Amino acid sequence: MPDVVVKNLRKDFGGNTVLHEVSFTIKDGEFFTLLGPSGCGKSTTLSCLAGLEQPTSGSIAVGNTVLVDDSSNKFVPPEERNLGMVFQSYALWPHMTLAENLAMPLNIRKVPKAEQKTLIHDALDKVGLVHLAHRYPHQLSGGQQQRVALARALVYSPKVLLLDEPLSNLDAKLREQARVWLKRLQSELGITTVYVTHDQEEALAMSDRIAVMSNGHMLQVAPPHEIYERPATAEVAAFIGRSNFIDGTVISARGGAATVRLDESGETINVAVSEQAATGDLVTVAFRPEKVFLTNRGAELPTDAIVLNADIMTTSYVGSRYEYDLKYGSKTLLVDSTAGGLTGGVQLVVPAEAVRLYPRANVVSKDVAELMAVTH
Amino acid sequence: MTTIPETRPAAQVAAPRPEYPAPKYRRILGADRSQLLFWATIIILALLVLAPVIPTLYQSVLDRPLYEEGGLFTTENFTRLFTEANFGSVALNTILFAVMTTVMTLLIAVPMAIVVIRTNIPGRKFFGAAMQWPFFISSLILGFGWITMYGPAGFASVEVRRILGFLPWDLYTLPGMALTEAVALAPIAYLFCANALRNSDASLEGAAQTVGAGPFRILWSVIIPMLRPPIVYSSVLVFSMSIETLSIPLLYGQPVDITVFATFLYKNGLQSVDPDYGILGAASVIILLVTVLLVAVQAKLLKDAKRFVSVRGKATRPRLLDLGWIKWLAVAFITIYVVIGALVPILGLVMRSFTKIFTPLQNPLLSLTLGNYQRIFEFPAYVGSIRNSLIVAAVGAVLVSVLAVVAVVVSKRSTFRYRKVIEYLALAPQAMPGLIIGIGLFWAFAFLPFNMGSLLQGTIWAIIIGFGLRALPSAFGSISPAVMQIGEELDNAARVNGADWLKMFLRILVKLLTPAFVAAMVLTFVVMMKEYSPAIFLGSADTAVIGTTMLELWVQGNTGSVAALATIQIIITAVFVGIAGLLMKGKKDA
Repeated sequence: MPDVVVKNLRKDFGGNTVLHEVSFTIKDGEFFTLLGPSGCGKSTTLSCLAGLEQPTSGSIAVGNTVLVDDSSNKFVPPEERNLGMVFQSYALWPHMTLAENLAMPLNIRKVPKAEQKTLIHDALDKVGLVHLAHRYPHQLSGGQQQRVALARALVYSPKVLLLDEPLSNLDAKLREQARVWLKRLQSELGITTVYVTHDQEEALAMSDRIAVMSNGHMLQVAPPHEIYERPATAEVAAFIGRSNFIDGTVISARGGAATVRLDESGETINVAVSEQAATGDLVTVAFRPEKVFLTNRGAELPTDAIVLNADIMTTSYVGSRYEYDLKYGSKTLLVDSTAGGLTGGVQLVVPAEAVRLYPRANVVSKDVAELMAVTH
Repeated sequence: MTTIPETRPAAQVAAPRPEYPAPKYRRILGADRSQLLFWATIIILALLVLAPVIPTLYQSVLDRPLYEEGGLFTTENFTRLFTEANFGSVALNTILFAVMTTVMTLLIAVPMAIVVIRTNIPGRKFFGAAMQWPFFISSLILGFGWITMYGPAGFASVEVRRILGFLPWDLYTLPGMALTEAVALAPIAYLFCANALRNSDASLEGAAQTVGAGPFRILWSVIIPMLRPPIVYSSVLVFSMSIETLSIPLLYGQPVDITVFATFLYKNGLQSVDPDYGILGAASVIILLVTVLLVAVQAKLLKDAKRFVSVRGKATRPRLLDLGWIKWLAVAFITIYVVIGALVPILGLVMRSFTKIFTPLQNPLLSLTLGNYQRIFEFPAYVGSIRNSLIVAAVGAVLVSVLAVVAVVVSKRSTFRYRKVIEYLALAPQAMPGLIIGIGLFWAFAFLPFNMGSLLQGTIWAIIIGFGLRALPSAFGSISPAVMQIGEELDNAARVNGADWLKMFLRILVKLLTPAFVAAMVLTFVVMMKEYSPAIFLGSADTAVIGTTMLELWVQGNTGSVAALATIQIIITAVFVGIAGLLMKGKKDA
């Protein structure tokens, strides 16, 4: 199965640019996820791949077949692209039985009737719904409809499978099961898959690689582990998982390390940096709540750890752990801990490898910032 | 509970999968067949809509009939229209008539909508259903009915004059015309207000109650202000409908020489021996300008009103207000409207059709006869008009609904560059009075080169085109919401699966739209059954329809046969709607 190559894809609606020159390559057989909040351009990207939207400029190719190329004014309509797609609402045709739904793409491709029968049987068998072949979509549960939609997208062996938030209409428990099942099916078929979702957990659990999108830009394209552990930008760190952000200024930098003075407290910390940092740079320091721990003031500490003095404001017990809200200057920091019962002044210990340094960025929405600001 | 099935073992899938390549669709000069359909739709619509308009515009600035050679451009027609033809007073009459009609319509419809939808009067369901009567009965028939009962020699008038010694009303005046027209149009305004009341948020009234407002306070401070958008919209609608209406001004105004726009065209185009086409064209252009303007205002208002409605949350069931003893007043008011306004005139007309003489001075039951019907069935021309009406309505219903479905789907569901234009074209005939469609098409046929127009002129096809044009906007309007309700992902799924636009339309949308299509056919059939005004100019002796035959018989003073034809038309409509309703219900149950 071929690679999907997207170059400089751009889409304008009216005067708005919803997709800014996005480029990426999806490898043969890869499970590739477009992840981002609503309005980030992920669905538009998928629609451009499917041919349901015509990009303003850029090119898309699947293997040797060019689907869109603005330089040669080429645009292959969706019906001639031979892609499979599952829609958020499943989009099963309500006036046809499951078998008829699956037969439609085969009829269009003039597949002989006998062969159609086998193909439909196999496809429904793959999703475990052969026994319901002659039911109508409205007689099925949501989970079953979703599987039929998948079977319909696979029955004609398309080159690429496009999935537009296919699990978002399922209830939470079923969604987790369906996630595992869908991932297994995909890797068994080895079909190149583009998956659109706003659910980061889904993306992390299923993907070979994730493209994090925001405001029509691709912020980072990387495997799930890298996305979570080494977010390329503060936005990615904020969107994937939870992060604490503290603003600061670089007061000295040499080689792979920098000393940063934190705005909130005036405390200075030493941070390893991957990119160049210069004295005077405004930066944002980020770390994840579960990567840090709390100790009482005056306790013994590892030498290279960063230590911040903070006060515990509230404790929430969420089952698997405790979540502490810490007052640090005028900021609220979030810390996970398995130990309960901590109160008052504590030391927040951040291991050096848990800290990420980004150019100063405003990643917390105004509403959240207001709610989080410590006013007393 | 749904269980997730095991997937197949990997070994079985690893076998090389066969390829089923996507279909290739043929292109003609770079355009696929869907594009051809889009262009065909827009061209057909443009031809139909512009056919009556262009010749009218052309004729209005030409110094002789447009089919005569050597015509010169002139503005003289417009000057003569206002000097010689006295068009100024016609315009004044029309505006007076339209204003009075609008005011009276609102006075009937608004209180009725409030009382029926929002208070606990007895018989709410019945009154709500009774407001649908104009669907079955044309305003021409209503006019006949009113004259039969309340005209100078009407059944009720004679009785009242006998008792009082004089008749306290005169139907053949502008207020008389406006009152009848208002009775005919009230259900339209009622519909808009009733819908707004049904959709409005009942918690607003609940809120008023919690702060201590009584039912009248709530009516005055909460409900009536909420009705402003539908009232404004329906007044513009009623105003523009009364500007173009022909039936009642023709029946009432002719004998006493009160002329409005539509009757002016009727008189100058049809009744004069040597029609002055220049004046006719100029008048048509002015009337068209007025109606186009009014329809543009309507469209703007409707857009704003929709914005108003969509803000509201989910539907809540409003609590009904208790008006106390006043509710009996309300019931009496509505009963008078339904009984005196609609029921009595129609029953009177039916009675008239079965009697020789219809007057309170003599018991009508003593002069019962089938003679009126006999006369109709004796003359082939009269039977022919019933047959023509049926053919026009049946063929037209199919053609118009097909055109409407295609136009709606192309305008709402395609990427065709001019899809908005298609919508405007399909709705444009709203602004075209029936008489002007008739005159315009008549000229268009006369104007066509190589005498091609004679193939259509005077045939039943000319009538179908004229009536169909009039019915197109309502067919479009009835199908459009059904298309909007079908999720666009169903189209997209078909496209990705390999269907081009046309195949998607034929395999998916056509099937899903069948119920809406049938409903549109029923609606169009009824609309075209009642229609007659374009046929006044387009018809020939062979292609008369029920409406034009009724007018002809009326002029001859043959009121009994008019009543009989009217009764036949009402029965045809009722039977058709009844059967269609049963069929559609049966389909749904299956």
